[in-house]
Amino acid sequence: MSSMSPHAGSQLVDLCAVLLLLTCFAIVAQRRLSACVDLFALQSLFLAATAALVAFLTGIHHIYIAAALTILIKVFVIPRILKKVIERLNVSRELVMNVNIPAGLLICGALVIIAFFITQPIIPLGYLLTRDSLAIALAIVLIGFFTMIARKKAVTQMVGFLVMENGLFLGATAAAYGMPLIVELGVFFDVLVAGLIVGIYTHRLQDAFDSVDTSTLTVLKE
Amino acid sequence: MNLAMAVVIVQIAMLLALPPFIIGLIRKVKARLQCRRGASVLQPYADLAKLFKKQPVVSSTTSWIFTATPYIVFSSTLAAGLLVPIFVSQNPFNFAGNVIALVYLLALGTFFLILAGLDAGSAFGGMGSSREAIVATLAEPAMMLSIFAIALTAGSTNLSTIVHKTALMEGIITAPPPHLMALVAFFVVALAETGRVPVDNPATHLELTMIHEAMLLEYSGRYLALLEWAAGIKLLVFLSVIANVFAPWGIATSVTPAKVAVGMVVYVVKVSALALLIGVIESMFAKLRLFRVPELLGAAFILSLLALVFFYTLRG
Repeated sequence: MSSMSPHAGSQLVDLCAVLLLLTCFAIVAQRRLSACVDLFALQSLFLAATAALVAFLTGIHHIYIAAALTILIKVFVIPRILKKVIERLNVSRELVMNVNIPAGLLICGALVIIAFFITQPIIPLGYLLTRDSLAIALAIVLIGFFTMIARKKAVTQMVGFLVMENGLFLGATAAAYGMPLIVELGVFFDVLVAGLIVGIYTHRLQDAFDSVDTSTLTVLKE
Repeated sequence: MNLAMAVVIVQIAMLLALPPFIIGLIRKVKARLQCRRGASVLQPYADLAKLFKKQPVVSSTTSWIFTATPYIVFSSTLAAGLLVPIFVSQNPFNFAGNVIALVYLLALGTFFLILAGLDAGSAFGGMGSSREAIVATLAEPAMMLSIFAIALTAGSTNLSTIVHKTALMEGIITAPPPHLMALVAFFVVALAETGRVPVDNPATHLELTMIHEAMLLEYSGRYLALLEWAAGIKLLVFLSVIANVFAPWGIATSVTPAKVAVGMVVYVVKVSALALLIGVIESMFAKLRLFRVPELLGAAFILSLLALVFFYTLRG
């Protein structure tokens, strides 16, 4: 256990979680594909910092391993895969979206309020240290989901998916001080495989339609 | 009573004397970052003095609004500045209005500037006015909400009470995340409202991009000097709100000579540091396309909204 008072510790965790949420908004407002990927890497770094902070404050050691894996896979490996994919594409920014950016930001603001409203009854039941992060985690999951709906390019949809996964990880850390290590390992493996599959899928999409706009998939032909 | 009078007079003197220095400092930082020597930081004083000596030219098609606007803008901006605690946390003018009065005094100046831009009937003036109206309407809610997020922590909309309580760290509910978010949102609004780079470029008269300069295009002589000076005061008011409402530490919490001296020095240092930051931002970022400005201000609005929401959820 640390020498820090639980109140100061809880405020630090809150601060980290808020930074995670802010990077979500930056992703929603960002048009450049490579910047979206960079922001996702930054978000994962904040996530690892949050996890390490929780591990330090609670003395639960296996969260450190999860934090290290987060840095390895989500800060380095997956962004590199996505960067490789983007390099091959003929577009660097997303100009047409299903929902434009100002409206998207407002919807995300509403999603945050909804997340806070939903978690309000259960927050007092949680652990003292991370209980506020649960609301933020739910908000991040919802925003990730919204990003997948609002964007058309396969790469940004993948970023949305990964943001959702980050939210779930934060939620698990917030609600239960992390999942058992074996489950965490499985999840990391899944995310890595998902990243690889989307990389290959985007290549195929680019070859077949000369675009990574997933809405072209609705006009499949023989 | 005399003490309060003295504080007010010194505050007016500072509000009048500092803006050209701040403008000069920003220009100097930009010049240094572009590997130029740049004009002296005192150059804006000389510019103002020169403009005051020149004879103004007023178009024969304009109405009284055109000649009244410089005085209205100047005095409303100065009055707004008097509501903000600058070096003493208990501002003697705090009875006169709270943060809502501050916002609307600044809006009054903007409104008359928009009218004056339309009044001369030139195409550029009207274009500048319409753009300024867009920016002002989008910036105002974000500005209100971000100050309200801070007002909630102190339990008062009176700026002096907020600053006093925050400086002493008593009677307030602290939570860093909402505070930071409100600060970032307010900073974006300050850049937009004072016509700095991501929204407007004060250094150019390119017709496609200018906003604030387009409205001033018909002005000359002492009218132009007053409006430029008022723009400087407006910038200083925004920087003062950032420096004192969001980070008031160092301000004099009681009127004793030593504390006031420290408060003044700390204030000038804080405001100069913010001016340096603005200079760096202006050198690092390109001006946004006009149609992207709502995205930036929308993000600021969302940030300040979240700051309010976080205040309610995180305090428990």
